[in-house]
Amino acid sequence: MVSEGLNNNTPSWASILGVVAIMLGVFLTAVHGNEAMKQSVIVNNMPASGVMPEADCPEEELEEEGISVAECEYLIDHVKGIALAAPDWFPTAQMTLSAIGAVLAFLSIIIGGALVNYTPWASKAAVTVFGGLAAIDLLQFAAVVNTGPTLREVYLGGILLWFIIHLMLVVGALAGRHTEAEA
Amino acid sequence: MQRQGFNRTAVILHWLLAVSIFFLFISSWWMMGLPLPSPELQFRAFPFQLHKNIGITLVIIILMLLYVRLRHRPAPVDSTHMKPWMHWLAILSHVAIYGLILAVCVTGYLSSAHTRWDTVWWWTIEFPRIAPPSEDLNEYWGELHMWTAWFLLGIIAVHVSGAIYHAFRNDGIVRRMMRW
Repeated sequence: MVSEGLNNNTPSWASILGVVAIMLGVFLTAVHGNEAMKQSVIVNNMPASGVMPEADCPEEELEEEGISVAECEYLIDHVKGIALAAPDWFPTAQMTLSAIGAVLAFLSIIIGGALVNYTPWASKAAVTVFGGLAAIDLLQFAAVVNTGPTLREVYLGGILLWFIIHLMLVVGALAGRHTEAEA
Repeated sequence: MQRQGFNRTAVILHWLLAVSIFFLFISSWWMMGLPLPSPELQFRAFPFQLHKNIGITLVIIILMLLYVRLRHRPAPVDSTHMKPWMHWLAILSHVAIYGLILAVCVTGYLSSAHTRWDTVWWWTIEFPRIAPPSEDLNEYWGELHMWTAWFLLGIIAVHVSGAIYHAFRNDGIVRRMMRW
């Protein structure tokens, strides 16, 4: 005997948009969370003098990691390069935007579930949250554009891809709302 | 009386697990590119400890999820929505996912347990040292950790594909795990 039914009248657009939002939301929460951690770890572990120490590359560690001495030394240069390329304001800006992005991405998982269940408030909330995520992408894009070639190479492609995805989700939710209104 | 969908606690635990697993994958790829540790270079300390914290927490979450799922079983799926081979694939992939998550966590812990680094869970609870440092065993369990993680990612791809397939068919199956 079934005690609690599910809403079986969900239109296809809401079902598909909801699941896509959930899948991307799970992934993006992790991406933004990781980005916030990256900035924090780099800022907090850079030597105060700005001069990086010599690489410590014991043979057994190299074997375990599957890297050469040259790559071990490069790992330090890589972090140093990222830190050098970032203007003073960049880590704070990136951490703030990523933290807000992680919260919005997590909300998009909940919104996705609401869409799949076709809850009355779902499509309106979807437009707001997906729009918020697209705005975060734009702000991150603007921040990275104002750095230099090193960070642009690292970040811009990924941010642009997420922006396009969020734009599609916003437009999808808007189209769904219009379909609802016409029904 | 049975619910059509999963219990709310199971739904929350499932999505918490999903976000945590993706965070662990993405952050691990990044943290392995940080400089090797030395007294002056501690870039890896925080991300590695966080990785262990979340990994150990995942074991607790998955055991809770298994308990909740077994205690509050939802009504079986309507057979008109699922061919028998799909039903079996779904069962197999679920068992594999649960098994692999536990395997990844256990092998990761055993790999870490053979290093010179201690495990202080969420920086508060110090885990007792279960073995002396050993390069060979660290590498052995580390390899297993890596391979079980790759298999887990593959099975998750199958699981996600199944969910998207049912969402496109709009047959109500994904709604069972998407109800808040």
